[in-house]
Amino acid sequence: MHNSISAIRNIGNIAKAIAPDFRGCMAWLVLLTSTFCVAAETSEGRLNEPDFVRDVRPIFEAHCYGCHGPQKQKSGYRLDAKSIAFSGGDVYGEAIVANKPTESVLIQLVTSTEMGERMPPEGPRLTPEEIATLKKWIEAGAVWPDGVDNVEIEDKRDHWSLKERHSIELPDVLNHSSLRDGIDYFVNQKLEQAGLSMSEDASRSTWLRRVTLDLLGLPPAPQDYQTFLADHSPDAYERVVDRLLGSPRYGERWGQHWLDVVRYADTHGFEVNTERPNAWPYRDYVISAINQDTPYDHFVREQIAGDQINADAATGFLITASVLLPGQIGADEPSKRLARQDSLDEIVVNIGQTFLGLSVGCARCHDHKFDAISQKDYYSMQAFVAGVEYEDRELQTNEAKEARRRAEEAKKQLASVRRELDLLGPIAFQGKMRASLNAERNTDRIVPHRGKKLRFRILKTNNLEPCIDELEVLNAHGVNIALASTGTKVRSSGDNIAPDRHELRFINDGQYGNSRSWMSNEMGKGWVELEFPQTEDIHYIVWGRDRERVYKDRLAIEYRIEIEDENGQWHFVSDESDRAEFNPDASANAGALLQYAADSNDERWRNLKAQWEELEAIIAQDTQGQLAFAGKFRQPDVIRLLSRGDPEQPKEPVSPAVIEALGTLTLASDSSESQRRVALANWIATAENPLTARVMVNRIWQYHFGMGLVETSNDFGRNGSHPTHPELLDWLATEFIQSNWSIKALHRRIVLSSTYRQSSQWNEKAAAKDADSRLLWRYPPRRMDAEMVRDSLLAISGRLHFQVGGRGFDLFDKRGGLSGFEPIETSSAANCRRMIYAHKIRREREAVFGVFDCPDAGQSTPRRRESTTPLQALNLLNSRFVIEHATALAEKVEARSELTTAEKVNQLYWIVLGREANDEEQRELVPWIQQAGIMPLCRALINSNEFLLIP
Amino acid sequence: MSLRSIDNLLNWNSKRRGFLMDAATALSTIALTSILQRDGLLAADGPEIDAANPYRPRPGHHAAKAKNVIVLFCAGAVSQIETWDYKPVLLKRDGENLADGPKVTFQGPAGNLAKPQYKFRPRGECGKMVSDMLPHLAELTDDIAFVHSLTSKSNTHGPAENFLSTGSVLDGFPSLGAWLTYALGSECQDLPAYIAIPDPRGVPQNGSNNWGPGFLPAAFQGTVMSAKEPVRHLKSYGVTAENDVATTEILQRLNQRHLSQNPGDSKLSARIASYELAARMQLTVPGIMDLSREPQHVLKMYGADDSNNTIKAGFAKNCIIARRLIEQGVRFVQVFNGAYASGGELNWDGHNKLKEQYDRHAQIFDQPAAALIRDLRQRGMLEDTLVVWCTEFGRMPMFQAGAAGRDHNPEGFTCWMTGAGIRGGVSHGATDDLGWKAIENVHPLYDFNATILHLLGIDHERLTFQHNGIARRLTNVEGNVIREILS
Repeated sequence: MHNSISAIRNIGNIAKAIAPDFRGCMAWLVLLTSTFCVAAETSEGRLNEPDFVRDVRPIFEAHCYGCHGPQKQKSGYRLDAKSIAFSGGDVYGEAIVANKPTESVLIQLVTSTEMGERMPPEGPRLTPEEIATLKKWIEAGAVWPDGVDNVEIEDKRDHWSLKERHSIELPDVLNHSSLRDGIDYFVNQKLEQAGLSMSEDASRSTWLRRVTLDLLGLPPAPQDYQTFLADHSPDAYERVVDRLLGSPRYGERWGQHWLDVVRYADTHGFEVNTERPNAWPYRDYVISAINQDTPYDHFVREQIAGDQINADAATGFLITASVLLPGQIGADEPSKRLARQDSLDEIVVNIGQTFLGLSVGCARCHDHKFDAISQKDYYSMQAFVAGVEYEDRELQTNEAKEARRRAEEAKKQLASVRRELDLLGPIAFQGKMRASLNAERNTDRIVPHRGKKLRFRILKTNNLEPCIDELEVLNAHGVNIALASTGTKVRSSGDNIAPDRHELRFINDGQYGNSRSWMSNEMGKGWVELEFPQTEDIHYIVWGRDRERVYKDRLAIEYRIEIEDENGQWHFVSDESDRAEFNPDASANAGALLQYAADSNDERWRNLKAQWEELEAIIAQDTQGQLAFAGKFRQPDVIRLLSRGDPEQPKEPVSPAVIEALGTLTLASDSSESQRRVALANWIATAENPLTARVMVNRIWQYHFGMGLVETSNDFGRNGSHPTHPELLDWLATEFIQSNWSIKALHRRIVLSSTYRQSSQWNEKAAAKDADSRLLWRYPPRRMDAEMVRDSLLAISGRLHFQVGGRGFDLFDKRGGLSGFEPIETSSAANCRRMIYAHKIRREREAVFGVFDCPDAGQSTPRRRESTTPLQALNLLNSRFVIEHATALAEKVEARSELTTAEKVNQLYWIVLGREANDEEQRELVPWIQQAGIMPLCRALINSNEFLLIP
Repeated sequence: MSLRSIDNLLNWNSKRRGFLMDAATALSTIALTSILQRDGLLAADGPEIDAANPYRPRPGHHAAKAKNVIVLFCAGAVSQIETWDYKPVLLKRDGENLADGPKVTFQGPAGNLAKPQYKFRPRGECGKMVSDMLPHLAELTDDIAFVHSLTSKSNTHGPAENFLSTGSVLDGFPSLGAWLTYALGSECQDLPAYIAIPDPRGVPQNGSNNWGPGFLPAAFQGTVMSAKEPVRHLKSYGVTAENDVATTEILQRLNQRHLSQNPGDSKLSARIASYELAARMQLTVPGIMDLSREPQHVLKMYGADDSNNTIKAGFAKNCIIARRLIEQGVRFVQVFNGAYASGGELNWDGHNKLKEQYDRHAQIFDQPAAALIRDLRQRGMLEDTLVVWCTEFGRMPMFQAGAAGRDHNPEGFTCWMTGAGIRGGVSHGATDDLGWKAIENVHPLYDFNATILHLLGIDHERLTFQHNGIARRLTNVEGNVIREILS
């Protein structure tokens, strides 16, 4: 049996290696049983030949088992289990070849004279006698009798989650008082078996708060309580659920769960962590697909092959991971190969854990230690996505094409408006204040000079070595005479060269942006000199740090422009001295140019300014969503099995194929790129796939109850946990498929079930048996997660801004780049949007709420952990953001001047907690409010356990 | 919260403590009873963490040599050739083309071999050759164990800093400090168990990945503070002291009543306890940050009084704060030297003008770092404090073509340790004659991290956390303790 589909079952008395406190996964795998094997009748009388048990195994025990035995299997090799002992580990081929000692790697290694190769690497070598015994044993056929091993190989395919679902009947239960949905039968059955029972229904207002927070991520408004509490119709609960599932807020909540799993972020990760400006179309796709209740099988297909079925942005799923950009990858070939392998690995890992709940990535370097996934399976899966590149793709919808045309047109018009504006601005050194400098684009209109050379000298920068993306010199006709293509030559004081990014020639190549720019090699200074082919009339100079508005550093803030006339005389024509003071915080927008002519009554000026603004708006609108970071698809790479996962050790090529233990789908090696992804998507998105529906049903359950039926929602393998309610899981999976994979139908039945409607009241007797309520004797309360705290705070303060979709708002002072992100703690309309619309900087946790276990999008987060730290307390008590919103909440309530203090307190309680203050609370609070106003009460309520817990 | 409100909170809490304690004890016994036969794997989620007190001290696997750690982290990749790894052959072969060397290295074409840019001389009783670049640290060689044969898995700063700090080149894994405090908690209950102190010039290349919790609970992330900027949100923004007092008083009552109605939920008491720790932090942190009570000679020893070099003074203050945190019993303190990518201007990434830039960086780093070690020794704190100096990889023996600096080299570089459990005056492992590749006692960084854990009483193979189907470790499936440097 090949060891990829097998695990080791220990049946000897091998000690449990791992201490109780730190039990690793091995403890589960190595199952202890009471069976002891007796090595009997192993020899058949051939006394001259070495006997395995008597002669050979003791040698292995003495020299090898320390690293290749029950406790360690270095290089995936062990010498205590027959099949693996023969077949070899991850590095070498067959270790023992019967009758052929010289071909047996085992003998080669124990006899090797090479340091670093010889086995054992430490400790005494095998004696010549021992080596002779081994050789003799192999020569004689390497007889290793069955049944003598202390371990036996277990079939890794024999695992519940890989087996097909069977039709399941609702179980019989004793207590029929709390059966609203099939779910309740299964839950009651387990509770009864444990001598437990469900709790009473929660109060109506508790259920309303729970289900609203749960489905929308926002608390109910006071009128929601009133409406529901007054509604005594039999379908009152159902109508609440319909309202919630119909709300666009629902997708904004449940989309976040999905983004956690796929580790979505708006930056590329690693140390440069630059902005991934077109990631958000995928985020919007997820929210909208969930709001539309896209059948889950379709949702899967769209994310793997959406480009083939009119869901372009959905394939953003494939490339949500961190990735090294070309500039960060070493210039040497091995670095490039490794980077490509890493980026393909992330795709396979994402598909495996998200849809199948399998840690496929474990088989990158060796066969999976626990699951039925071989290294070959892993690379065959890689072959399905071997043509995917981490790049933006232009969306091909009709709307996108039309918007592109409009934006192009507007850009052309904007350029000509700019030219006109340039000619209207104040002239340097004429006693008129000119616009302050900015990083995007600056114009120096000068008294016209004739000259053959122009020098731009930088004396000071806002930081680091100066960088200029393009230096344009224009004549009376507005023609740029600096362009290298016109024959202009350029030299400089010295260059910092980054090939294809910063080179001197880029300063007059007609292309804009940081990646086509010149950088000086001196801190804060440097010069460039242009020499025109002939003497020119120079009217103005245009220059900038980054016309693409990404970079604001390295900007020249003190400079001189000089022109050499025909007589070799230099003329000083402009500098920054008559400009308004440089403001380092101003946005990198050439709009600054407009500031100092705005008072001008020149009508032409005002018209141009208006046109400018209009065109800018069109461009901003129409360039949004044109590109999606959704993958570029190209001719697939040939994928080879890599020894130890090392791209420098390629072995045989593999064709696209699914994991052998799960199916038979195999494609020809010349299959097209799209064929591959479509085939993979279709294989995952079927009722027959044993994992797909189970994994998703479990995720949905988990987000409703805080814990899945399977606790390890990303791992349904042998190393994951077993379901608490296996029949319920399968029954739900079947029902899910029969509802045409409707997620909303699944929510509906869960939140209307008695199981979900229970009170969360603590019960000491039940807790003594099941402290975590895994059997659901009560609804398990849990703390709000980061997004829910922030969104709810905005909702209760009345400042929540329901702008849907589009480019994310800023949590920090920059959208990507090197470290050192300064949080924005003030509130504005933009950052009062729901947190899912924040521009998510990978690994940079939001400054106030991030510490509430908000994932950093490094690795997949299948379930939010719930930790409690003093930093949460400090942030929620003291941060500007929270205090501003507590104040807004106080003002909102204070504004109700018709209310008495007691009524205001009640109003506040309804808004924040969804109930009235009781008499005792009222009595206690009045003196505080009289003394310090209502704001401290708002602040305290926001910090209270009652507010922060989903009841 | 103001100080007054904190006093208030603490007094009030001491009155109430009896009740809370009882409740908490009762709870934790109940919480241990789980109906499910949890198989080893789920309970394998590492040590039992008390939600109400995540920093409660926990025992390690074996007797620890060190109780606390200070990591001096030089971002940008310090050249081993200019510092600790003496290569006289390079003096002879300076300017020579290395025929069998790589034509292209990380950043581009390789140039010729280049001699060390600083003079080396023997130091201390052990006679270890160390360069003049770091004269103060060079005096400490008798106490230091150098590992000259480290290797990294990446030649790119980001993944390599990940690898050094988290044991994985990928984003999203827990940092060494997170692992340690998760395993051991902290002796100090008034401060977070793990503090990260960024350089005055800015945070290192890979930013918060170097002190992130990865998939461990958020309580174990490094809390950022420095002489320049104390812990964020320590004081309330723009409200009166009365408002603070009223808020905390009302909050206590709200939470207490809520707890009494839901007496079983340990989460509730944990959250209440976290507000108490926050209040204690508000009292403790300002005292730690206040260097005015440090004697003048101490400030001078660190260079914290150097008015000509404010960056050095800032870094020196960070070093003093590190000592003070350790004095309070904080488990793990990371002091960063060097900021983000900047062409080597703000960190040790000397591609182009190595000598010129290192002259400046060494000025900032050397005296304060050496003073920290001396100060710890004078106070007897090196007995149970481990000090680690590290950098993500080394640099090439040749200059880059057309430049006066060295490219990235992950195949052989030096880091060192001193203090608790370390044998001083040891040079372990070696690179080849050129200082290019580790050839003797080669140690991937896994081994370095395994050794740190070992000194803290932790078996790196047994410190695990179940995540996405894998019992994750700081050392992946690798790691061997470097026993040769242990005392």
